[in-house]
Amino acid sequence: MTGSQAPTSTVVRCRINGRDVEMLVPVRLTVAELLRDRLGLTGTKVSCEMQVCGVCTVLVDGNPVSSCATLACDLDGTEVLTVEGLARGRNLHPVQEAFMAANALQCGFCTPGFIMMAVALLDARPDADQAEVREWMDGNLCRCTGYAPIETAVTVAASRMNDSSLEDDQ
Amino acid sequence: MAVLPELGLVRSSDLDEVLAAVGHDYAPYAGGTELVPATGLGLRRPAAIVDLKRVEALKGIEVDAGAGSVTIGAAVTHRRLSDHPGVREHLPTLAAAASRVGNARVRSTGTVGGNLCFAEPRSDLGCVLLALGATAEVRSARGARTLGIDELILGAFETSLEPDEILATVTVPFEPPGMSYWKLQSYERPTLGVALVVTEDRWEITVGAATERPTRIVLAAGDTAGLAAFVDGLEFSDDMTGPPDYKRSVLRAHLDQTLGATQ
Repeated sequence: MTGSQAPTSTVVRCRINGRDVEMLVPVRLTVAELLRDRLGLTGTKVSCEMQVCGVCTVLVDGNPVSSCATLACDLDGTEVLTVEGLARGRNLHPVQEAFMAANALQCGFCTPGFIMMAVALLDARPDADQAEVREWMDGNLCRCTGYAPIETAVTVAASRMNDSSLEDDQ
Repeated sequence: MAVLPELGLVRSSDLDEVLAAVGHDYAPYAGGTELVPATGLGLRRPAAIVDLKRVEALKGIEVDAGAGSVTIGAAVTHRRLSDHPGVREHLPTLAAAASRVGNARVRSTGTVGGNLCFAEPRSDLGCVLLALGATAEVRSARGARTLGIDELILGAFETSLEPDEILATVTVPFEPPGMSYWKLQSYERPTLGVALVVTEDRWEITVGAATERPTRIVLAAGDTAGLAAFVDGLEFSDDMTGPPDYKRSVLRAHLDQTLGATQ
């Protein structure tokens, strides 16, 4: 097979924030480019483009991924969640509420990435201890607020989410 | 944002079709953890990517109780590896190492095969798999061959794979008693990794991350002179994580703590 024979675009069918999407995308298109440039979902930020800083974090089938370094063609058949998909109407997600309450942001550029990573963590490990919180969050960088309020916010969100799931069970 | 150059896509669930496509300009592609940034930076210029993720034979984790081994597909992600009950039971040190590779996003998409074949020296899996005596099955349209980890990884970013070959699976003997893995790490990648298998009469030591490729030695327990000579003889890399003397000192201190005097 030669380069001219391999198609340079492909159809992607996926669900993004609960909405079915079917698009023809270039193979070279990243998930971040798809979200920001084609779908107008600019809550996802881009910075290092090396999988190091975490601002571009989105969830694919519940797993946190770097949207800057993931190709959009890999989204076929998946469910994608971005920061725009967290709130229910006017009600923010418990992680968003906790970030506000703990002042866990300053300039806010890293915040969508931190919030998505925290959501991924608390969905996968609702009882995450401090070591697990640090292990999951240490791949996200913040250059102004610092990490202590962010860790507090994640811990507070975890206990609120566990409390409300207990209430749901009753 | 850096725009990637035009890329073709070969995608099939059939291993033979995938193998027929892989070649010089047709890069095997799974998690994209390294290939996508490297292509963005212009370090790699593939004409097309050959997606391995739809081939079932490259995605399995099979525990063979009779043989006492686990066979792991090259396209298995770090998260699947670290969460797999059979891996946690029979290869707990590997599972723990996989649970701390890179960051949580890298563990979602990055694969065992990508980690080994990129051959970045500052890696955990190469060191742990060499310590475990793992073997790699390499496939191409021409056939298959089986290599030890030290025959697969030849140096920094260098493997013995031919352009038309892919790593298909890694077969790992069950973890022996007395195994541990410790690493020094500040950012995304380890500065130094040390895998030990310590029994009453043997010291098996594998050092990774601080040298161009993982290095293993087997000594009689208590052979402190042999251990010191091994540490002295390692060629540590000089990079942003520290000069060779620093890495040698950290390794000595760790071995002193875990095995007793090395000097």
